[in-house]
Amino acid sequence: MEVVVQAQCPGPSLSLPAAGVSNMVAKLAKACTLRISPEKLNFIVSDKVANGGVSMWCELEQENFFSEFQMEGVSAENNEIYLELTAENLSRALKTAQNARALKVKLTNKHFPCLTISIELLSVSSSSRIVTHDIPVKVIPRKLWKDLQEPAVPDADVSIYLPVLKTMKSIVEKMKNISNHLIIEANLSGELNLKIETELVCVTTHFKDLGNPPTARDAAARDRDPAQMAEVHLDIRRLLQFLAGQQVGPTKAVCNIVSNKMVHFDLLHEDVSLQYFIPAFS
Amino acid sequence: MLKCGMSGSQVKVFGKAIQALSRISDELWLDPSEKGLALRSVNSCRSAYGCVLFSPVFFQHYQWSNSVKMNDNDLTVSNLNCKLGMKSILPIFRCLNSLERNVEKCKIFTRSDKCKVVIQFFCRHGIRRTHNVCFQESQPLQVIFEKNMCSNTLMIQPRVLAEAIVLFTSSQEEVTLAVTPLSVCLKSSSDEPMDLTSSVYSEMFVAPDEFDFFQIGVDSEITFCFKELKGMLTFSEATHAPIAIHFDFPGKPMALSIDDMLLEANFILATLADEPSRTSSPQSLCLSQKQKRSDRLGSNSEAGKNVTSKAPECIQRKVAPKRLYPKETLTDVSALENHDSPRMKRANGDLSEVPESSVSNTEKVPGSLNQRKLFILREIAHKLVWGRERERERIPSRQVEWHADSMEPDVGFDLTNHEIMT
Repeated sequence: MEVVVQAQCPGPSLSLPAAGVSNMVAKLAKACTLRISPEKLNFIVSDKVANGGVSMWCELEQENFFSEFQMEGVSAENNEIYLELTAENLSRALKTAQNARALKVKLTNKHFPCLTISIELLSVSSSSRIVTHDIPVKVIPRKLWKDLQEPAVPDADVSIYLPVLKTMKSIVEKMKNISNHLIIEANLSGELNLKIETELVCVTTHFKDLGNPPTARDAAARDRDPAQMAEVHLDIRRLLQFLAGQQVGPTKAVCNIVSNKMVHFDLLHEDVSLQYFIPAFS
Repeated sequence: MLKCGMSGSQVKVFGKAIQALSRISDELWLDPSEKGLALRSVNSCRSAYGCVLFSPVFFQHYQWSNSVKMNDNDLTVSNLNCKLGMKSILPIFRCLNSLERNVEKCKIFTRSDKCKVVIQFFCRHGIRRTHNVCFQESQPLQVIFEKNMCSNTLMIQPRVLAEAIVLFTSSQEEVTLAVTPLSVCLKSSSDEPMDLTSSVYSEMFVAPDEFDFFQIGVDSEITFCFKELKGMLTFSEATHAPIAIHFDFPGKPMALSIDDMLLEANFILATLADEPSRTSSPQSLCLSQKQKRSDRLGSNSEAGKNVTSKAPECIQRKVAPKRLYPKETLTDVSALENHDSPRMKRANGDLSEVPESSVSNTEKVPGSLNQRKLFILREIAHKLVWGRERERERIPSRQVEWHADSMEPDVGFDLTNHEIMT
């Protein structure tokens, strides 16, 4: 099994998005799985009880980021590598690569399998400084791969574009102080509501004119009343974890709601696609 | 007796020094002398020592004198011997940026009759803020370490070191500095075998030409505590002066120092010894208390010479003394010259008397076991045996008085000195 990946000057384009992604992942779960295949890299957080049933799937096309990408999987038919690592370690390591001249990622085995990241920094005195990080990883055996496949996009009752995530985040943060139980509802007329209800108070935030993605509109035109809301009851902390990880505004953000079952967020950040699934409150 | 004054921007540097020393320990000695005002701090396991000496030129005005007391027909000249709790003094110098902006003048003076240090800030708009901090009488410790005798010296701009520090997570306690004449490497140090939950191993190579001064006499790899390095770094960024790192082989203490016209800062850190069965506690530093002035009148300069003219380093791994303290402190008084004491192995429980410099009232360095308890026991025993006058076991208290037209006089509150209470 082998991975050798290189990114070259000017300013390795890998570092920013990948650092952003690993940062995001670090906020969602402690451990995550990195899947390496010939065309892409995936960050996977699978729906375990520890995460509250939340799962995440993130995909990057390797050719958009690396100048050189070489990998050799477990075997010829299964040309993939699944690694388990602590997302925080990766995001810290990539943070130092922000002003790097070159970046190299390799899978190594130094007493323990590691992902070795070598960064060449250019210092003021024009001599280069070499920084190496060895991130401990665990290679996931093939029999567990089936649990880590791309989740199927659910058949949503309502699909809607999300409002500015930063606004949403500050609202949800304040709501968290009142209650743990959040209701998210949306309809096909571009309206999204975030509601919390307690004995003393009910707070609702209304977002209007958000727009609905085309595919949803076609399917819905058949039988769904555009004003009818599809709602899901969520644990507010899970939603907040997701929103907190979004540092940079995405190019595209869609929310798919399956009534009373789950919420599916589909984001696109430049060349990185991210999908996040939050199940309904049980 | 101490009386000094400084401007707003000087207060910032002074405050930064206190913050850096707070990383080492919870106690601070204020030690004025003819050389200037020294702030000293030693950590409880004696593995780190910090001293920042502000020369008289740093201050707008600086006055210092010994106090002379009549005591049973005996003239005793004593030093200030002022020990403050970090908890009392750190909040006073908390928001340094706002202090720099608002404070026009700061005066620090002592009132030995009341065992208090008074810190007064004369701020804008006619506001005057006074802090009275009680101090405990305690002779300051000094470390015996001749940094110029070290075979390896590096001098580097603080910014470069700061960039390196970012690599290491705060969960990592120790870092290793490995040098050869061709390269310098800063790396995370870890004894345990790696596994999935361990933190990232990072290393950074720095080329020799990035250093202002690079002299490597012997290839070595030293491991020291990260926390104190960070403290020193933030202080050096405030002074804009390069940091000099002096070190030798593993086990021997290393020095981080800043030498400026106005101040001199030295942080002496113990390093891990290169033993096969090494445990994580670094060797203790060799410390001595300043000569008790009452013993030798007018021999201040001699005392000073005594301390520094000894052989340079003093590496000793102390074992928990099992004898009663009063007996032990009496035996300390004997003059000892032996500084080439071999490193003592902790494992074989060697109880032999550890040699120290020949100054009476030497502070015995506690062994690695139950150090805190021993330190406290010693403090108490010391007081019993030597019968210090006006020993303040009372808890230092802090009162803040506000003098301004619109302000109400404010609270006074007590802070416990946890060192004595535990």
